[in-house]
Amino acid sequence: MIDVQDLTKQYAGRTAVNHISFHVEPGEVVGFLGPNGAGKSTTMRILSGYMPATSGHATVAGFDVFHQSIQVRQSVGYMPEMAPLYTDMKVKEYLAFRAQLKGLSGASMRRRIGEVMDLTGVTDMRRRLIGNLSKGYRQRVALADALVHKPKLLILDEPTNGLDPVQIRHVRDLLRSLKSKHTVLLSTHILQEVEQSCDRVVMIHQGRIRANDTPQNLARQLRSTTLLHLELSGSGNLAAELAAIPGVRKANEDAGDSTPWRRFTLRVEPEHDVRDAVMDLATKKNWRIREMHRQLPTLEDVFVELSMNAGTPGDIPTHVL
Amino acid sequence: MRIFWILLKKELHAFFVSPVAYVVLALVMILNGFAFRAALSVLESAPSEGSIVSWTFHAMWFWLSYFFIFPLLTMRLFAEEKKMGTLETLFTAPVRAWQVVGAKYMASLIVYCLLWLPSLFNFKFASWISAGQVEVPDGAMQGAYLILVVMGMFNLAVGCFASSLTANQIVAAILSFTLSLLHFLMGIFVMVVGRKISDTIVDIVNYFAATEHIRIFTAGLIDSRPLVYYVTMSLLFLTFTHHVVEFRRWRP
Repeated sequence: MIDVQDLTKQYAGRTAVNHISFHVEPGEVVGFLGPNGAGKSTTMRILSGYMPATSGHATVAGFDVFHQSIQVRQSVGYMPEMAPLYTDMKVKEYLAFRAQLKGLSGASMRRRIGEVMDLTGVTDMRRRLIGNLSKGYRQRVALADALVHKPKLLILDEPTNGLDPVQIRHVRDLLRSLKSKHTVLLSTHILQEVEQSCDRVVMIHQGRIRANDTPQNLARQLRSTTLLHLELSGSGNLAAELAAIPGVRKANEDAGDSTPWRRFTLRVEPEHDVRDAVMDLATKKNWRIREMHRQLPTLEDVFVELSMNAGTPGDIPTHVL
Repeated sequence: MRIFWILLKKELHAFFVSPVAYVVLALVMILNGFAFRAALSVLESAPSEGSIVSWTFHAMWFWLSYFFIFPLLTMRLFAEEKKMGTLETLFTAPVRAWQVVGAKYMASLIVYCLLWLPSLFNFKFASWISAGQVEVPDGAMQGAYLILVVMGMFNLAVGCFASSLTANQIVAAILSFTLSLLHFLMGIFVMVVGRKISDTIVDIVNYFAATEHIRIFTAGLIDSRPLVYYVTMSLLFLTFTHHVVEFRRWRP
């Protein structure tokens, strides 16, 4: 559905997208993930035929985004960031205008407009001026516009940006329901969003693709280790004894506040579970454990690691974004 | 072509749901009223060569309206879409740049033509109320309204171009005002220094001068040269506008 090869976009002296290549199969929901300014919007604008790339090429639904721009735009439903709309039009009027531009007409157009308004939940607002709508509703109108001509591909630039939690859930459900009919490329900097609604994640940072895999695989392939948090009481060099357990790469004693309880963080090799071993050791040495908690690497860790460009493998930044 | 009509309808809608069209219409009507009264008082005071039509379009009031119409009608066209970001929405639908430029220009031209309709009534009314004593020559009427339309075509194209250059409506308005004013000042320049320079230069400048065109056409002389001049200049500025809008696609 999308084929991007060696795409580069430079703005006066600044490279926004740097030789990226990726591929999206029909029916996939692909999340485009990256911090602000990573080049997500630029790539999406190129794919939707709004602006050309400096070099490289891209095809969407078999059409070249530059040379066959009109056909590309016909097969893409694009929702720009911030959902810019004509504020002096009413919702239904606007959707009719957009539908006509995209080649719909007559009764089938009116029926389709009714469908997308129901789908996005703006039917009650159809007679309201867009200028008087809240951000959430404007976002939905923009989504309805992107859907109106039943495009093969939906390109959504931060579709949940600025929505409240209920609306975000609604949009995610909507995306899931669209999955059977459309290929979706959506961008976001919210990790839960891709973990929950995407088949595949393309992580982009500073204009380069840093990862391209399923959310689960990404978390698994994380070179970083799993963390095991412990709080126990005992005397002696506990850290050394814990580190001797097979599979434990490193054991650190953290600053504890309530003696005799001491806190430890174990860095465990991937694919190892040392909790039983820790328990056995504690029983043997007569330690008392009052907390043991395993922290699996999340997509967030991958993301932070990639964004921070952390060079040392095995170091998970434990703090959240 | 279908896309063009859809866009044209939308642009006209935008004119008439905002106060712009009505404010401009009201101002033009007021200034036309003053211009018409000024023309009447000229005819009142002494016998005159010119008709009421030519005196109306020579009044300062007419030129006042002439200057503010174009910036007001065109400043919004592209600048607003740029500022709001809707240009991105628009150009990710299957529309071509010429369709957008053409529709916006055509909408402003239609509104512009509507602005002059009430002034027709002034002349008819004068003729009717004076039982035909105030003469309204047909030739002068046709000439005057013809030149008004083609001058409008040119200045609206300039305004479109100005609006496509910036995301700021005020900048667009000032730019189009300045260009229209420069065009007007060519005629004034000849009036002020006309006797001191060679006839060739006067002729050349007069070829471009709006004041001169108005003078000829309101006398009932329909000269093809200004018509060709305005129409080709309109096309030139529309081509510029098209290129500026399309430049987004070609920018390295």
